[in-house]
Amino acid sequence: MKGSVFRLLLLMALLAAITQAQAVRADAGTPVLLAAGALLLCGLFAGKVAKGMGLPRLTGYILVGVAVGPYALGFIPGAGVKGLELVKGLAVSLIALVAGTELHLGLIRRVGARVALLCAAVCGVTFAVCFGATFALKPVLPFLAPMTVPQALAVSALLSTVVVSFSPTVTIAIVQETSARGPFTEFLMALVIIGDLFVMVAFGLAAGITRATFGNGLDLPALVGGVGWELFGSVGVGCLLAVAMLLYMRGVNRELPLFLVGLSFAAAEGGARLHLSPLLVSLAAGALIANLDEREGRRIHQAINQAGLPVFALFFAAAGAGLKLDALVTVGPAALLLVVLRGLAIWAACRRFAPADDPRLKRYLWMGLISQAGVTFGLAALVSRTFPSFGPQVEVLIVAMITAHELVGPVLTRRALMGSGEIRAEEAGGGA
Amino acid sequence: MQALLVFLIVAALSLLASSRSLLDPARFPALAQLAASGLLFLIFGVLLGPSGLGVLTARNLDSLRPLIALGLGTGGVLLGLNLEPRLLRLLPRPVYAAALAHAGTAFLFVALPLLVPLMLSSGLRPLMAVSAAALLGAAASLSSGHFAVLGYRNGRLERARGLGVALLTMMDDAVGLGVLALGLVLGATGNAAQGLGLLGLALLLGVACGALLAFLTRSLKDPAEQTTVTLGMVALVGGAAAYLRLSALLAGVACGATLALMGGRTVERVARALARVERPTYLVLVFMVGCSIHARDLSAWALLPAFVGLRFLGKVLGGRVAQRLTQGVLDLPPRFGYALISQGGLALCLVAEYVLLVPGSMSQRVLDVVAVGAVVNEMLAHGAFRQVLAAEPPPPPTQAEPPAGDAGVAA
Repeated sequence: MKGSVFRLLLLMALLAAITQAQAVRADAGTPVLLAAGALLLCGLFAGKVAKGMGLPRLTGYILVGVAVGPYALGFIPGAGVKGLELVKGLAVSLIALVAGTELHLGLIRRVGARVALLCAAVCGVTFAVCFGATFALKPVLPFLAPMTVPQALAVSALLSTVVVSFSPTVTIAIVQETSARGPFTEFLMALVIIGDLFVMVAFGLAAGITRATFGNGLDLPALVGGVGWELFGSVGVGCLLAVAMLLYMRGVNRELPLFLVGLSFAAAEGGARLHLSPLLVSLAAGALIANLDEREGRRIHQAINQAGLPVFALFFAAAGAGLKLDALVTVGPAALLLVVLRGLAIWAACRRFAPADDPRLKRYLWMGLISQAGVTFGLAALVSRTFPSFGPQVEVLIVAMITAHELVGPVLTRRALMGSGEIRAEEAGGGA
Repeated sequence: MQALLVFLIVAALSLLASSRSLLDPARFPALAQLAASGLLFLIFGVLLGPSGLGVLTARNLDSLRPLIALGLGTGGVLLGLNLEPRLLRLLPRPVYAAALAHAGTAFLFVALPLLVPLMLSSGLRPLMAVSAAALLGAAASLSSGHFAVLGYRNGRLERARGLGVALLTMMDDAVGLGVLALGLVLGATGNAAQGLGLLGLALLLGVACGALLAFLTRSLKDPAEQTTVTLGMVALVGGAAAYLRLSALLAGVACGATLALMGGRTVERVARALARVERPTYLVLVFMVGCSIHARDLSAWALLPAFVGLRFLGKVLGGRVAQRLTQGVLDLPPRFGYALISQGGLALCLVAEYVLLVPGSMSQRVLDVVAVGAVVNEMLAHGAFRQVLAAEPPPPPTQAEPPAGDAGVAA
């Protein structure tokens, strides 16, 4: 580990020198590629340091991103981090593709109904607690205070919907890293994925209602159509993607990792333009391939393990660099309260509603549900764009919560998997 | 969106360029040749860029500059890695003299005459015109040995002669890079001392990154980690250069050369990791250069015949001199100068770098002339190399059958 620390320090010294050199140049060029290279290298070695300290590599990626990012040491300009948005979609898409290859029909039949029920319970309880708390904070939250009661209720519902969301990206990345296998892991992965589907539907509804309370009227057909397109359109596009992948693997079959990275990038970017969920598109593609041809599903898994390390290291380090630490100061107390309440709600719901046949679910499952990352970021940004009058302030509050969840979530997820006894290896072949 | 667009365009073009039926060398030799060299992407770039159909706008291209910096950085590191000090020390002096002769003659044939119209046509500072003329000369001095390599691989050119051509064409890269450095010193800031400082900073950055890469990769055993560190460092060297407005290409060369000197066994692993991304990165770069061409600049079109014609003369004459200088040392084919007409990708890298660091109409004109000239030279090279093959004695009957894919290149 000492070697990795030394290498990380050398890299940071080089970045510091580049920052100093920039000061003598009056007109700086584009910082995007610099950010990509720096975060990739620092992320990789920080991951090794974190592993040496018994933490998930992912935590190392995020922490080093925070350290070298624009809100701490400032080695990487904010514009550089913003330019890496493209990588986020790619990483989510790749991770979902791997997760999809794990979704066999047998698994869905075995745990599908139980997972859906528990997910509804956890999401419901967490939503109720956060909704109540947010509305109770109306007098002290600057963006809620001037609103009418119906408006404040709608905005509280919208905010709470986003706050409920989990992070399939972090969960799947930690599962990849630890090579965890077994019923507990399957249950956890299925729960975070289904939880995201719940959140997507709920967010669409809450956004429609919020728009109505602010005088734009409730357009029910558009609301249902939008949510339906996001869900079923994503699955449809995912199926087309699966066919394209199978044709490539059977026809061309060269440079599969590169092909998958390219296709995932196209799926993520194209999906976002078509208002589809990149997560669901890739998940559907992976699941269809795994159920049509198990051998090809395994090959995709291996190929992403080969190509995934740089993408995941860059994604999580960029996520860390993008965490607005200054937001913690302004909305810190409210965010902290919501973080604690969300954690308690998830813990209580898991203790109360998790299936009793496996005691590990009652004890450890909640730890795997604390993380928040890409999906929550995306929804927060959407709130900001859709409701410019109060959205940016809501975004700041949510980002402050994500900051806290990003720092503790991966560690808790790893502990959950360790507690379940399903971790097979300390060092997986790739992944995060 | 722009990145997705470029990705989809390049992916679609790659599929097109790899289609054997569409680009059958027997049916469309010129098109197949352009596809093989990647210059077909340049033509598509012109067609889809702001000068053509406008699918990509000038603003789009501006936001895609990191891709150009990545391409230049990667190209630079690969060039630097090829600088093997042990091998360079073994080469006899006449080989250096011959390389300098054919590259230098083409340089002088192009740079000196074109300096006059460049000075007259622009009301800019003379230093700027000298810098632009030097870049045109540098691009002209470069040659690609790929015809010779394909020639000896498919048995139409004796192996030793093919290798001789390849060696001499590789060595003129140094002339091109040297002139780029000079052009940037003269043109980047308008103050030679300041330009020299920036060049030094670029080289220092490259050396620091190369040394660090050698150190970082030494302890890594996992291939995925090796690839990650290699790609990260290439992005860092190109990105830092682009951020500091330095030459990504020269910083990359310094990085690669430092790694070649210090890397030991890791050099091969780094080269293998880079080889995987070399072709896609190159094609994206060529496409972006194509998009950047101002096809409606009449002055550039007026300079183009002079550039191509003078370069041709310079290469033929320089080839003769080189042949004389290497008698008894290298076995070069008859009509050696005709084997040097193809220009290769480094010329595009030079002008892409120049236009990034020395913005203005003059550097844009240099890019237009060199990029279109590269396509014309590639087409000319196809015919010119036939002259070389025609003068070759027939190959001995024991030589291997030509591979199907290369059949059309020397046909």
